[in-house]
Amino acid sequence: MSLLSAMSVSASGMAAQRTRAELLVQNIANSETTRTAEGGPYRRKDAVFSSAPQASEFSAVFQSELDNPATGVEVSDIVEDSSEPDKRYIPGHPDADKDGYVAFPHINPAEDMADLVGASRGYQGNIAAMAAVKDMILRSIDLMK
Amino acid sequence: MLDPIADRIEHYMDLLAARQKLVAGNIANADTPGYKTKDIDFQFEFMSLMKGDTPDVKEVDGLRSKNDGNNVDMDRETRLLAENAIRFNLASNLMKSQLNMVREAIQEEKN
Repeated sequence: MSLLSAMSVSASGMAAQRTRAELLVQNIANSETTRTAEGGPYRRKDAVFSSAPQASEFSAVFQSELDNPATGVEVSDIVEDSSEPDKRYIPGHPDADKDGYVAFPHINPAEDMADLVGASRGYQGNIAAMAAVKDMILRSIDLMK
Repeated sequence: MLDPIADRIEHYMDLLAARQKLVAGNIANADTPGYKTKDIDFQFEFMSLMKGDTPDVKEVDGLRSKNDGNNVDMDRETRLLAENAIRFNLASNLMKSQLNMVREAIQEEKN
């Protein structure tokens, strides 16, 4: 049923926005982190979205679904910021280099906050779409009463 | 199924469902770089499409592209989302009254 696959499209959008929001929150939390497992300061992460066909589970049975698959979204990649870290002069800091400079993540919290608002709005949009589709499905079921 | 009117309503609901699926896809891809808004020519498909065929999906012209090549207009999509839901609501009520007419005819027979 085509309406059920519309719900999985909205679900894919919600999952993608959630992943993005998680990364943004992680960036804000680590905006002052100077040590990581890979060494060096924390690097800003961001999600790359790409559209992906959303096949419903029974699409193999219904050929028409395959001809016209619903376009969902997926996080195809998570990229790390490759820009130079910010150098701050703090000679007493345990991570300071020989000149007294400490490498801090190159993160602008305002940018992450703005993106977080965008992710939240995107999530809400997908919820609205899913609610509308769900209502349509329930109305079709009501026809049997 | 029952009569030509019910057939048309069924076809109308099928098209609305197909369109709602595209709107959901557009909203899900509102932040996908390079994604172009998809839609169907509703009037044309309703008049010409045979029942059971899949409608032709087109990219929508005249929408402003953002810097990342994405041209999803959230205002347009939310409007369509609400519009489709209302139309579907109307169609399902029409269909319900069609079904009730048949049901009443069956009940008359019993009495």
